[in-house]
Amino acid sequence: MVLTPDFDTRPVISFQHVHKTYPTGTEALRDVNLEVPQGDFLFLVGPSGAGKSTLVRLLIREEKPTRGKIFVDGIELGRMKRRKLPHYRRKVGLVFQDFKLLPNLTVYENVAFAMRVLGEPDHKVKARVAEALDTVSLSGKEQTYPANLSGGEQQRVAIARALVHAPRFIIADEPTGNLDPATAWEIMQLFLRINARGATVVMATHNREIVDLLRRRVIAIDAGKIARDDRSGRYHDDLAKPQVRAQ
Amino acid sequence: MILRNLKFALNSAWQSFWRNLAVSLAAVLSITLILILAGINLLVGHAFAQVLDGFRTKVSEISINVSDDTPLQTVYDFQAQLAADPRVVTVTFVTKDEALREFKSDPQNAILATQIEGNPLDAKLDVRVKNLNDVAAIDAMGRQWSGVDPTDPTNYQGDFVNRMLDLSEWLAIAGVALLIVLMIVSVVIVMNTIRTAVYHRRKEIEVMKLVGATEWFVRGPFVLEGIMTGLIAAAIALALLAVAYEPAVVQFKSDVGFIPLSYDPAFISSLARDLLIAGALLGAVGSYIGVRRYVRI
Repeated sequence: MVLTPDFDTRPVISFQHVHKTYPTGTEALRDVNLEVPQGDFLFLVGPSGAGKSTLVRLLIREEKPTRGKIFVDGIELGRMKRRKLPHYRRKVGLVFQDFKLLPNLTVYENVAFAMRVLGEPDHKVKARVAEALDTVSLSGKEQTYPANLSGGEQQRVAIARALVHAPRFIIADEPTGNLDPATAWEIMQLFLRINARGATVVMATHNREIVDLLRRRVIAIDAGKIARDDRSGRYHDDLAKPQVRAQ
Repeated sequence: MILRNLKFALNSAWQSFWRNLAVSLAAVLSITLILILAGINLLVGHAFAQVLDGFRTKVSEISINVSDDTPLQTVYDFQAQLAADPRVVTVTFVTKDEALREFKSDPQNAILATQIEGNPLDAKLDVRVKNLNDVAAIDAMGRQWSGVDPTDPTNYQGDFVNRMLDLSEWLAIAGVALLIVLMIVSVVIVMNTIRTAVYHRRKEIEVMKLVGATEWFVRGPFVLEGIMTGLIAAAIALALLAVAYEPAVVQFKSDVGFIPLSYDPAFISSLARDLLIAGALLGAVGSYIGVRRYVRI
């Protein structure tokens, strides 16, 4: 049974009995059911190797589920044609622990790159990049190279790149994993602002403090299964608090 | 949008070529060598075909010698019979006097001609046969004819002709086989260059995929890089061959005079076209296979 949250919107992400077994025989996910409504902010927590990364990889269609169905925005990812994949990825903003910036490009070029690969005209690229850099408060750093930026600034460039397509949802895989607590907090504020504008955010994280402070929806994964789905949860299970529990 | 994408692809192909200069140069040089070999193969094939063409017209012509006591009417009848044969192109009657004049006009026979007394030469029927394979049959016809000179019936050299033809066929097959092997080798070389280029740009490729670049947007620059490699190699190979062609022919002629090899400047333009197309195609095919294998979304 999957519990739908009490505010009623069409789920933008839906996992239906998803299993993932890698060719090596590793069972990464077992019967995962999950619904994420538009505008949700969701933490994926759990020990390393629990299946968080597999879930993220399934969401960006780097992997296909072995069994079950994943719907994102009404599209079934497992049956999506390969040539449709780039169009799907443009709807998703991706942010990673290691930023994945290109070192030989400036801040501006790194953000513009996401639009250049679509063959967008220069004037459109300029306007959107300026807007995205403004959102992450990096206006003025356009000509700087990533190597000359702090970790937090680099992650903000990556977020600007994720935002430049104006995606409906953001998937972040440990975005604060390489950052000190103060910077991590700044980055989290940024994600909250983006979420407040309407984008759905799915974030895999190990950052206990942030999860406990924000009290957002928390999905705990353990040994390939959803162990917990709390509407406003904490990093660790806390039975003293009232919860909405799944399964 | 297509223009912008092309500009992007050309830019990154050019950058990639220079960034991996060592690998790019190694590939260019290997393919240059291969194209030079292919070019030499084509040049030798062309020269051989020229020689063989001359040879073919020579051997498709046989002379049937007429014995001195044959009445002229018999000769004319046989000439008409041959001319009516569908396998025959032309029949020319050469009288004893004409044969002697012909013999004397050849400077090679100058000394011999002064020592000739009377006219020892036969009158002859020069027959040009359409198809080389039919020469033997016409020769047999000539030998059975009543008016033929029994001591020296025809100038047909039978076996020798067939052997030459066999040899030329084998040489052509060997040439094609060599070209195929060379092509496969260069495709593999381009594939490996592309693999290195892909490896060097793997971060960029990963980011491109994540921000939603289409598969061919990612692959395009590598295919262009392959074509560029092939074209540069073809241009170098062509330049070297063009420079070396004439001296090589001159040298060959002075070493092996009896083979009538000749310098054919017109062939260079056809060689240029072949080499450039081959270079571009090899580069395109090699890199296409390379990116299909190594660049997946």
